[in-house]
Amino acid sequence: MSQAVTAAHASAIEALHTAYLAALDKGDMAAWAATFASNEASYFCISAENDRRGLPLALMYDDCRGRIDDRVSFVTKVWAGTYQPYRTRHFIQQLSMNVAGANQYRATSGFMIMMTPEGGATTILTSGEYRDLIDIQGEGDQCRAVFRERRTVYDADVLPRYIVFPF
Amino acid sequence: MNAPMESFEQRWTSSPEGFRVPYEVFTDRAYYDKEQEKIFRGETWSFVGLEAELPNKGDFKATAIGDTPVIVTRDQVGQIRVFKNRCAHRGALLVREPRGNVKSFDCVYHQWSFDLTGALRGVPMRRGVRGQGGMPPEFDMANFGLDALRVESLNGVIFASFSSTVEPLLDYLGEEVVDTIQRIFNRPIRIMGDQRQYVHGNWKLYAENTRDPYHGSLLHLFHNTFGLYRATQAGVSHMDASKRHSILKVVATATPASESENKEVYKDVRSYNTDFHLQDPSILAGRKEFDDGSTLIINAIFPNLLLQQIANTLAVRQSVTYAPDAFEIVWTLFGYADDDEEMQMIRMKQSNLIGPAGLISMEDGEAVEIVQEAVVRDGKKTSLLAMGGGRAENVEHMITEAPIIGFWENYCRYLGITQVRVA
Repeated sequence: MSQAVTAAHASAIEALHTAYLAALDKGDMAAWAATFASNEASYFCISAENDRRGLPLALMYDDCRGRIDDRVSFVTKVWAGTYQPYRTRHFIQQLSMNVAGANQYRATSGFMIMMTPEGGATTILTSGEYRDLIDIQGEGDQCRAVFRERRTVYDADVLPRYIVFPF
Repeated sequence: MNAPMESFEQRWTSSPEGFRVPYEVFTDRAYYDKEQEKIFRGETWSFVGLEAELPNKGDFKATAIGDTPVIVTRDQVGQIRVFKNRCAHRGALLVREPRGNVKSFDCVYHQWSFDLTGALRGVPMRRGVRGQGGMPPEFDMANFGLDALRVESLNGVIFASFSSTVEPLLDYLGEEVVDTIQRIFNRPIRIMGDQRQYVHGNWKLYAENTRDPYHGSLLHLFHNTFGLYRATQAGVSHMDASKRHSILKVVATATPASESENKEVYKDVRSYNTDFHLQDPSILAGRKEFDDGSTLIINAIFPNLLLQQIANTLAVRQSVTYAPDAFEIVWTLFGYADDDEEMQMIRMKQSNLIGPAGLISMEDGEAVEIVQEAVVRDGKKTSLLAMGGGRAENVEHMITEAPIIGFWENYCRYLGITQVRVA
């Protein structure tokens, strides 16, 4: 049985997408992590090739909230000074949204990431699809959306460079 | 544009301070073309795949040796075959998908059809149409099979060679590399997936990087921070007898380094922070799965393969060349077919360590690219390989660049470069 998405929920989900893109485009890893549910959440970034072949190997495999927080520390602390900085611009377009349970939605969006290395020209990093499980927390106009799970399936068969930031 | 090198008479001079490699070797097209002829298509065995990638008859994968496209397939009797990926008619790419399953290889251009042994089986309109056209009577299908390469496998690891005179695979690899392959491929494996990464640098910078124990705990701060590898650990830096291949190994020790010794060794290092703690330390909670206790083995096999065990991550990394300043790394991760669920989960968590975004491998891509950017000119200037004494000798530690020198000595031998060491 299909259920309608309430206007408040739709608007919370749109705000979640915006917060995610804004965090990565600013290189703000803490803000990226804050878009995920604080107790139980996961982030997977996997190639379309492995996804098609039914193989589990991921580029990033953060299967619990602790590992999402650890990824923030890897990028900001352990790797600091190691990688050549690059900036990104994320663009998304929502493709589908379905009710998955009480205050929970499954959504898919197409995305494209532009990349600009320090001192370099802007190129496409990859395009792909976000497959999300989104929780709505709170009621009415005060509600807020968070990712319970974000599965990023990227199109590039060969990544154009080494990767530091999540997609 | 560099002028072509005539007859390729090169002379490299090293000093008492160490082995010297001229930067032009990373940028000059003449070196690149010579490598294709003398190394990738010469007296070597190149890695092309794992038998586990081709479980069924008719399975194929497309890959490349150097920059020559090849097809790896399993024929109707189960034998592994490797062909140039090129139709014998007009030279079109025969297979365009990265992998698949077929009964025959059919060229899209004129539909010439080859069976899984590479023999030509079908030529449309061979006898003409309504008495017109057709192939000349001299045309013999037996002369137009696919170009086949020599193929040998060791424990399911497939190598191919363009050479009819190269020594047998086991002799080429040498005893210690054979042992390393047999240790990791000791039972049926399960493929976990591939990662592919384009690197804006010369493939030999990665060959150096994977033969370089010196950088392990300095570039890869994750190693150091979480104690996966520190230079204070016991290790070996070995080569095979020919010194083409290298085996870098951390061995279990009864007397681990004290905190104060680690602090002394890394006192000049920009980040040695053992106070940093993981929110989810289960990424490092692996399982002992080899009796010898080794937790880190980096086995570079000349010219295009790296076989690795880092904790519980098992992987092959294949280099595919595109140009003097471009190559691709294809990572294939695997576990064992008999892994229980917990072991599969351990390998998935630890897969975060490696690959294009790997916690201890992202920086290798960066290291290759920053060298490539800096050596674009000053081709006769040289890099220095001196740590550990500047000679290609096996040592029972990892504070050395010796295996990189072994690589270059062989490189010179393959390309006919004269090496001079000035006293």
